[in-house]
Amino acid sequence: MSVTVGIPRALLFYYYYPQWKTFFDHLGVKTLVSRETTRGILEKGIKSTVDEACLPVKLAVGHVLDLYDKVDYIFLPRIVSTARREYICPKFLGFPDIVRNNINNLPPLIDYSMDLYRKGSSLYNLFYTVGRQFTHNPARIFMAYKKSIESLRMHCQEMEAGWLPFEAGGNHNHEHRPQSAGVQDVTIAVIGHPYNIYDRHISMNMVKRLWDYGANVVTADHLPENVFRREAGKLPKQLFWTLNQRMVGAAFYYFDRPEVDGLIHVASFGCGPDSMTGELIERFARQGSRKPLLNLTIDEHTGEAGMVTRLEAFMDMVRWRRQLDDVAATYY
Amino acid sequence: MYGYLGIDVGSVSTNLVLTGEDGIIKQSIYLRTQGKPIEMVQQGLKQMQAALLDKIKVIGVGTTGSGRHLAGVITGADIIKNEITTHAIAASNVMPGVQTILEIGGQDSKIIILRNGIVADFAMNTVCAAGTGSFLDQQAARLNIKIEEFGSLAMQSSVPVRIAGRCAVFAESDMIHKQQMGYNVPDILAGLCEALVRNYLNNVGKGKEILQPVVFQGGVAANAGMKAAFERALGHPVHVPPYFDVMGALGAAMLAREATNRKGTGFRGFDVADRDFKAGGFACDGCPNVCEVVEILESGQVIARWGDRCGRWSNVLERHEKIS
Repeated sequence: MSVTVGIPRALLFYYYYPQWKTFFDHLGVKTLVSRETTRGILEKGIKSTVDEACLPVKLAVGHVLDLYDKVDYIFLPRIVSTARREYICPKFLGFPDIVRNNINNLPPLIDYSMDLYRKGSSLYNLFYTVGRQFTHNPARIFMAYKKSIESLRMHCQEMEAGWLPFEAGGNHNHEHRPQSAGVQDVTIAVIGHPYNIYDRHISMNMVKRLWDYGANVVTADHLPENVFRREAGKLPKQLFWTLNQRMVGAAFYYFDRPEVDGLIHVASFGCGPDSMTGELIERFARQGSRKPLLNLTIDEHTGEAGMVTRLEAFMDMVRWRRQLDDVAATYY
Repeated sequence: MYGYLGIDVGSVSTNLVLTGEDGIIKQSIYLRTQGKPIEMVQQGLKQMQAALLDKIKVIGVGTTGSGRHLAGVITGADIIKNEITTHAIAASNVMPGVQTILEIGGQDSKIIILRNGIVADFAMNTVCAAGTGSFLDQQAARLNIKIEEFGSLAMQSSVPVRIAGRCAVFAESDMIHKQQMGYNVPDILAGLCEALVRNYLNNVGKGKEILQPVVFQGGVAANAGMKAAFERALGHPVHVPPYFDVMGALGAAMLAREATNRKGTGFRGFDVADRDFKAGGFACDGCPNVCEVVEILESGQVIARWGDRCGRWSNVLERHEKIS
């Protein structure tokens, strides 16, 4: 009888799911992903988390609650650092403990650390210890690890080719993209944490809305790692947080690209790093560029009117500016 | 004669404007929404009809404001547009060459930056409603002052009291403290105006290049104390246009003119004011999202639905306003 490992559809799921899934597949372990965010999942999460936590963390707890009675284990790696000399937000580090202290009758958590902060540290440590839970055959773990790295690479390639995480993964799912692909006349860069911008519920379907308004959406994940790292290097001092470095780097890059008509920065209310990235983007990345930038803050509110108003006005503005540029181009 | 109707249904006020074909205002109506947007739109239409005496035929309708979809369905609007765009259009027509628009309404405040006559940038307040008209309203009520007298009282102040404007809750406790210390009311009111302006410029106006000419509009522009506080903070004159409180509606009317350029209007006539509209709602139990679906009923028949994420309810209607 095989066991099932639950993976919450939250936080770094959007980057690492293909890798995690491949790894477990090759060990003969079944995986179950929590359902897409619904109001019910979010409400459960809000109820069982401390008030100070940010929305994505509350939502992640909700996703754990969606899984906990259906699986034998829950995979919640303690993500400390995903790159050398950089950290991930401390709430990720403490997330397994947040879950443990708020939910009763949990299945065992697989919460080994992923810490690449120091020179010479390797991702293999995490996968080896996880693998030992399910098999005693080190060669099998090594093979599964190799395959998982390969699928992470494929995932990154797909995103660099212009797919978004929820579309990538082999079955390119066109159903959410607008049918007539030719009408996308503007390009909008959406800068934000992956778990905010790709979650259809808490982002209030922002990406889909932008598509419907005729925009082509690009995000930080469409850029290869070396590009956003190079761009983020323009800051006077290196940022500690990997995800925010990615966002600031992407903002630098997209402000310089002529085909990008505007940027939207999405922050979650109460996120410390986000409040700072917002400032950095406004002060540094935008220097010398008159491209429109919209700051959106998302939180528990369900009223969509505020979001719709801002997005509509933003799209109007972007189109007007383009028209004016076109007129100017014909005269000069 | 022909004219265009603009309707702005905001959280605090519902405004109607009728312009001639030249875009000049013939009639404007300002009503308090009082949480009853449908009734107020109908009341506004009645008043408008009475004022026009059938001399002007409406050949285009535009709606804006947070209740724009509701008003659009009731009147059969030709264009339904967000309030940022309509405010910008109105201001740039009323005052050509305007570069900055400060707009403070009931529930939101925004700054719109225009360059060469088009919107170059804008910002709106985030989740917090501090520093908007509602807060001034509330504080005036607490001090037992009519909101209309607020501005003139604040202007009598010689030494504005320093009040923390970062958060409405702190501002209120600061005000109570100052009042108990014996400061007089005009100084407290002037201090409140300065605190709101500081908060506005730090939050909404953060990082924006505020160039002259500056236009100050929205309901709060009626408050002379706020205008003076803005002038002190910015160091240059701030213009309040004559129709400062109905600028959104004016912009909507201007957009209606554009929208009906080569086609007839969808306006359903002034007699919609006498029809029976009701807004109902229910929680859909089709999935765990439990969307709150809003239904607009005309004489018992559903004419519009919105609020569902999946389109299960809004798509079954032939004519529907897409809102989500």
